[in-house]
Amino acid sequence: MSLTATYRLGTRLFWRDKAMLFASVVTPVGLAVGLPTLMRHVTAGGVTGAAALAQSSISILLAITAFMNIAVALTARRDQLVLKRLRSTRLTDGQLLLGQIASTATQTVALIVVCAVAVRFAAGVPLPANPVAFAAVTIAGSVVMSLLGAAYTAAIPRAELAAAYTMPVFLVAAVSAGAMGPVPVPSWLRPALDLLPTTVVVDAVRTGEVVAPLLVLAGWAVVGFVALRLWFRWEPRRS
Amino acid sequence: MTAIDVSGLRKSHQGFEAVRGISFEVAEGEIFALLGRNGAGKTTTIEVLAGFQRADGGTVRVLGLDPHADRAAVRRRTGVMLQEAGFFPDLTVARTVDIWRDFTSAPRPRDEALELAGLRARSGTKVRQLSGGEKRRLDLALALLGRPDLLFLDEPTAGMDPEARAATWQVIRDLAGQGTTILLTTHYLEEAQRLAASMAIMDEGRIVASGGMAETLAARGGRVAFRLPEHVDPGALPLPVTVEQGLAVCRAEDPDLAAQTLLTWAAERGLRLAGLEVRAATLEDLFMEMSAR
Repeated sequence: MSLTATYRLGTRLFWRDKAMLFASVVTPVGLAVGLPTLMRHVTAGGVTGAAALAQSSISILLAITAFMNIAVALTARRDQLVLKRLRSTRLTDGQLLLGQIASTATQTVALIVVCAVAVRFAAGVPLPANPVAFAAVTIAGSVVMSLLGAAYTAAIPRAELAAAYTMPVFLVAAVSAGAMGPVPVPSWLRPALDLLPTTVVVDAVRTGEVVAPLLVLAGWAVVGFVALRLWFRWEPRRS
Repeated sequence: MTAIDVSGLRKSHQGFEAVRGISFEVAEGEIFALLGRNGAGKTTTIEVLAGFQRADGGTVRVLGLDPHADRAAVRRRTGVMLQEAGFFPDLTVARTVDIWRDFTSAPRPRDEALELAGLRARSGTKVRQLSGGEKRRLDLALALLGRPDLLFLDEPTAGMDPEARAATWQVIRDLAGQGTTILLTTHYLEEAQRLAASMAIMDEGRIVASGGMAETLAARGGRVAFRLPEHVDPGALPLPVTVEQGLAVCRAEDPDLAAQTLLTWAAERGLRLAGLEVRAATLEDLFMEMSAR
């Protein structure tokens, strides 16, 4: 019951914050729909190029709508002492965080689906061939990125720096998954980038192979969970 | 029954010992005031009792439970009004209460909570537009939602206007009358004296005075003050006095008797003790005395 209450709260706050909606919905959806559409109609890549870019763009949604949104929201609530007040209720710490993570992940999955349908009509990109595999991997990816975003707040000293602190994560995620086009990366770095949660989701969507990606995501989930347990701060630093 | 039992509590923050081995008990249904200057350790004590922080030393029992280890169980029966805590600034007062009702089992109806806190007329207002005192009242409304057995009120009336303060006092008294145990901190000593049956004064992390409010103050005696008649040497008076800002002040266990003695002495000499004031010790007298040590 309490978990659904925190889930509802997270969802309500997600859609109420107009300024954040621009950053976490309008921008990533614009990119994830606009870039493949441009590719389809302006370049010689045709549907194949557009489809590849649409798949890569999932990394943008994961990095912004899941990771950045939850990191910014939780840091702001931490610094405004809202988290502290929420903890004075009978909600447990786990319920507070899980409800928020589940809510952020749900919005992310919804937007990924919206984008997949939008590029179908705007750029003729076919819908995922294996919807079950697509759903499994995007849901897992959204949950893991929301979890990691929540854990990442421990590294963010002040709320006003939250968006800036998540920017490198967005850039690395988008570049490694090819959402920024072909950006050359050193060959020694490639294996590491291929293990990023965003990259494995995009690879799984592209290839239809989900077992290995889900195992990698499970590993990231453990990392996020342990980091959350060890370092998550409910209140701003006193000094 | 004891609602709160603190024994030898110690708590440090980054090497600074904010609470240095304090002990006190709060009986069920009692209003207990924890007093002291800023930085005395009151808020740290409340945060340990409410389970936000773990004690470094000593034992703490709240409703028979360890407030940190058994936080979930303690939270179900307590309400907390923190000195500092935020709201969602863009939500209205009503919406904020609705959200908190979602987190509370068998909560009071929204309007009842707002009525208790005197905020019903502001239910459509966004939290960011509330004054400091109104935010305290919203805080109180949230703390009361779950009909708690024990209430922690950290500076409950800070920033309130006199009318709201009086209304809040009445709410606190009514709750105590219904059996709620209340631990409050306040800088308004008059507030503590009016409300609390027992108190402890903290200074630099230690309790420097404690006990039942009435007995403690009665034991401090009282004072008689008057303007010293011209050409009278204070040493000639029948009781020892000190001269403070032009007033002769006589401190005595029984201030009424002292006043009688002084008036009789003055009548016999045809003198008048102008501006005579007789009063029992106040909490403020005690507080100032303790803080001056």
